[in-house]
Amino acid sequence: MTSSLRTFVACALGLSSVTAAAFAQRKDLAARHKQPTAQQVTFNRDIAPIVFHYCAPCHRPGEAGPFPLLTYSEAKAHARQIAAVTATRFMPPWLPEPQPAKFADELRLSDEQIALFQRWVEQSAVEGAPSDLPPAPRFISGWQLGQPDKVIEAEKPYTLPATGSDMYWNFIFRAPVDRTRWLKAIEIRPGDKRVVHHANILVDRGQSARHQESEPGAGFAGMELKIESENFDPDSHFFFWKPGTVLKPEPEGMALRLDKDTDLVLNIHLQPSGKPETIQPSLGLYFTDKHATLFPVLLQLENDRQLDIPPGQKHFVVTDKFTLPVDVDLLAIYPHAHYLGKDLQALATLPDGSVKALIHIPQWNLNWQAVYRYANPVPLPKGTTISMRYVYDNSSDNVANPNDPPRRVVAGNRSMDEMAHLWLQVLPHTSPDMAFDPRMLLQEAMARHNVEKNPADFEAHYNLAAMLMARGEQAEAIKQFEQAVQLRPQDATANNALGASLLAAGRADEAISYLSAALKVQPDNFDAQYNLANALVSQEKFAEAIEHYRAAVRLRPGDANAEANLGGALAETGNLAEAKVHFQRALQIDPHHKLARENLEQISGDLNHPQP
Amino acid sequence: MQLSRFIPRRLYVSFSLLTAGVVLLAFPFARAAQKTALHADGTPADPFQEAAGKPAVFVFVRTDCPISNRYAPLIQRISARYRGKAGFWLVYLGKWASRERIRQHESEYGYKLPAMRDPQHALVARAQVQVTPEAAVFDAHQRLIYHGRIDNWYEDLGHSRPAATTHELDDAIQAALTGKAPPPSAPGVGCYIADAQ
Repeated sequence: MTSSLRTFVACALGLSSVTAAAFAQRKDLAARHKQPTAQQVTFNRDIAPIVFHYCAPCHRPGEAGPFPLLTYSEAKAHARQIAAVTATRFMPPWLPEPQPAKFADELRLSDEQIALFQRWVEQSAVEGAPSDLPPAPRFISGWQLGQPDKVIEAEKPYTLPATGSDMYWNFIFRAPVDRTRWLKAIEIRPGDKRVVHHANILVDRGQSARHQESEPGAGFAGMELKIESENFDPDSHFFFWKPGTVLKPEPEGMALRLDKDTDLVLNIHLQPSGKPETIQPSLGLYFTDKHATLFPVLLQLENDRQLDIPPGQKHFVVTDKFTLPVDVDLLAIYPHAHYLGKDLQALATLPDGSVKALIHIPQWNLNWQAVYRYANPVPLPKGTTISMRYVYDNSSDNVANPNDPPRRVVAGNRSMDEMAHLWLQVLPHTSPDMAFDPRMLLQEAMARHNVEKNPADFEAHYNLAAMLMARGEQAEAIKQFEQAVQLRPQDATANNALGASLLAAGRADEAISYLSAALKVQPDNFDAQYNLANALVSQEKFAEAIEHYRAAVRLRPGDANAEANLGGALAETGNLAEAKVHFQRALQIDPHHKLARENLEQISGDLNHPQP
Repeated sequence: MQLSRFIPRRLYVSFSLLTAGVVLLAFPFARAAQKTALHADGTPADPFQEAAGKPAVFVFVRTDCPISNRYAPLIQRISARYRGKAGFWLVYLGKWASRERIRQHESEYGYKLPAMRDPQHALVARAQVQVTPEAAVFDAHQRLIYHGRIDNWYEDLGHSRPAATTHELDDAIQAALTGKAPPPSAPGVGCYIADAQ
């Protein structure tokens, strides 16, 4: 069994006073019908194309923008505001600097476009000729990809208070499937879009987040989430919503597997609006019959250990770098820091020494964090070093500083703590002659990197060992598991994994001590019961083994191996009648269970022709 | 003769009155041009008279301005704190501020203080405010002693503090009540009032 424990982090806009309403009306009419001069900027000709493309996706009814911007009169009613917020690039919200590796759906205005807004307002914001007006933008009403195959709504709403600091709330959605399905898209309907800053789905295959709920379906608070998984199933997809998100299906071949016992955890960032808001998100699931054939992986660079920022420090730098063990295509990138983050940058240094900018956000703003997808995949060959460099400002000059006066800040999951994370969605290149799944090589390299960064990182030792074990590197795997157990002697999973590895290496005596330790901490650990029974069998301690097999069968009645091995141990002690029952159960569970069938045939013969 | 002399004088007086009457008849037009704030129901409002010798406080808002909306709980709290000590009004701007829309907005945001409309920007001009939400504080002698931001929660659009560290509106009302020096005027962050015509 391999295991991996992974931590996953989880357009608004606003003339001198008029002496009388009648005069205002006349002036407005005059503005509308004023004949534009050659140099004059008009709404219909110059401004509408920009507003329709960049602003209207959010500034329309039902979307995040606080007012619509679909007509001349609506734009005129906010003309100065528009000129001001575009001049500072507050709107449209787009944090990354321009770079050769373009992002999809970039919302960055050019300097010329910004200047047009300024001139339009300076020239009394005239409407211009009706013939110049481009067609009104068209938006899909309702679900963006058509009616979803399944819609699931959060069981209980969350009420956001009228005032207070930003809130991070998690809703757990139980996968509405009775068998494994493949997802080509998930549309997130986060609730009132005017108060939701962003939303992010985490795939919780082990239902590990549920224990944080006070009662099933209640949801729970928390900015960052830790999702645990006991199977090698690396995080692979970003399901991210921010205002104006244009939903696109996952690329061909990259469907997401959705098993029946999977939870989808929706982490949403809410900002109080001044009145209480009831938030009850829903998800639209779109299935496909096409199983995944391409398997992207989310890689994480981070250096939370470096985060120990003294109060008043204006320029605190955190770095990390990781060298790719395989060729990959970089599909998307997600930088993440909290309120002290100032300048976030990531680069790729290719084996030939050339450097590619992956992203640079010179003025980080947590409120506008986003997953950025590249317009075209960025090829990064094996040996490429990806590096991140984040700068933090813990002075009182940083108005977003959660502490007044500033205080020492270290890494943590609360919004007043900090983070230095960079997530990359990569698609490893594969070829038929590859001995190992390149995802495993990536995970192994990532775990090794984390062990080097932090020798006290339990999860890194554990994950590295698991990957080594899967590759058959038993000796090194055992060493890594040993270090994991040294770091957390009471961890049942680690003790079990070390015991299982020792058993596989033929070191049954040592295995028994770690497996017993695992059971001491967690008697209902099926794997430890089963592995300990196997270890005892290898030492021909059948009676003891039978007890642990029985425990394993009780814990997981549908496990064919446990039934078959219990049958085997019983047969060894001469209890052929009961052994037969368990071989038969194993075959009921799995009719192709070879060992159970062979043993059943063997003991059936013995039962029919008892040895003298 | 004296009588006869007297009569023309009376005629003269009554002519004067008549002239005055003509002037008065001409005034309604001129009065319509004079800027006036309105109560939410559309009737003319004179908040300074209503303040009855107490300080008068105005907070300018717009129903579609997200920043002035976010301030609603604080504006309500401050107004409640000075109930009976100062006249306190919300001033709605923008052509969308109908009586019904104001009533709905006040209900949604939990406002309990009286609201006015200022379609002609009479109060805007007198209070010298530029954006919503900005506030203006007049002392008991109707002198403008403060206009500007409520506090420093917002530094700029998109850049807010977790909590304000200065409280200009509160300080200004205290100054109006006690005669102490008001805080210096500081511009608010929000939505341009000039757009709300």
